[in-house]
Amino acid sequence: MTANKTSTRHIKELLSGVSEHSNRHLSEVETDLIQTNILLQEAIAKLSASFMAIHEAVSAQQQVVHALVAQCDAPAELVSALHAQGEQVGVHVNAAVTGLQFQDMTNQLISRMMRRINGLRDVLGDIGLDSEGIPAEMDEASLAVRLDRIREAVHAKSSALENELWKAVCQTHMESGDIELF
Amino acid sequence: MAKTILAVDDSGSLRQMVVFSLRAAGYQVTEAVDGQDGLDKAKSQSFDLVLTDQNMPRMDGLALIRALRALPDYQRTPILMLTTESSDEMKAKGRAAGANGWLVKPFDPQRLTEVVRKVIG
Repeated sequence: MTANKTSTRHIKELLSGVSEHSNRHLSEVETDLIQTNILLQEAIAKLSASFMAIHEAVSAQQQVVHALVAQCDAPAELVSALHAQGEQVGVHVNAAVTGLQFQDMTNQLISRMMRRINGLRDVLGDIGLDSEGIPAEMDEASLAVRLDRIREAVHAKSSALENELWKAVCQTHMESGDIELF
Repeated sequence: MAKTILAVDDSGSLRQMVVFSLRAAGYQVTEAVDGQDGLDKAKSQSFDLVLTDQNMPRMDGLALIRALRALPDYQRTPILMLTTESSDEMKAKGRAAGANGWLVKPFDPQRLTEVVRKVIG
């Protein structure tokens, strides 16, 4: 039995539409991700530069203060307070260094997203190409076989894409990670 | 004489933090931008410790470790992984390749320094 010509046309248009609209939206997502990555890179560059400059200035200031304290007969409590403040600075410096590593992880996650988007675009692009190959008139059985082949191809490519996208970043917070010596 | 460390990571910001932390502790740190760069630098200069990321272009961390272990000068050199990877599977691969330790990012500078000090003094 020949499939209704209108039905076949609708199926072709549906598949083609899915492919085309998906491609458009995925391209927009990709553009936004690229922009996000650029902004993150710029932010980390600025933050790191400022952090280094502040650290250098504070270290220099601490040296001057210690030199002054050494020269004058400063009360013990003052010396103790300065020492405690110095330790506090160290704690916050360590926290800042840990936090400033965010860009490495977010960059990896964004790269993974981009690879998935490109892979998905290929999969959906192939749907569009496959749909163009469907003749205007086709018997129902042949059309069913053709659609099954498209479905199987999508499944295979999607699985292959999933296997390629190993998730290297599982961190959901910026606390420092485990250390293990073998 | 200061101990020397080779820090291998394709992330410039991460390398900057490693260098900052370890130089503050008195170590001499050389940077490499990926596994291949790390291997080239290791061949041209001797290091007391190699600290390497896993996921890098051109040559990943595991491949770098295997290549270093094949060099006579690096058969006993401590090699630590510093990576976002935290699965037992990856750690086992690292250990099998010849890594001596596994540090999961992000690192705390004080803890990193303590581990390095423990390994190379």
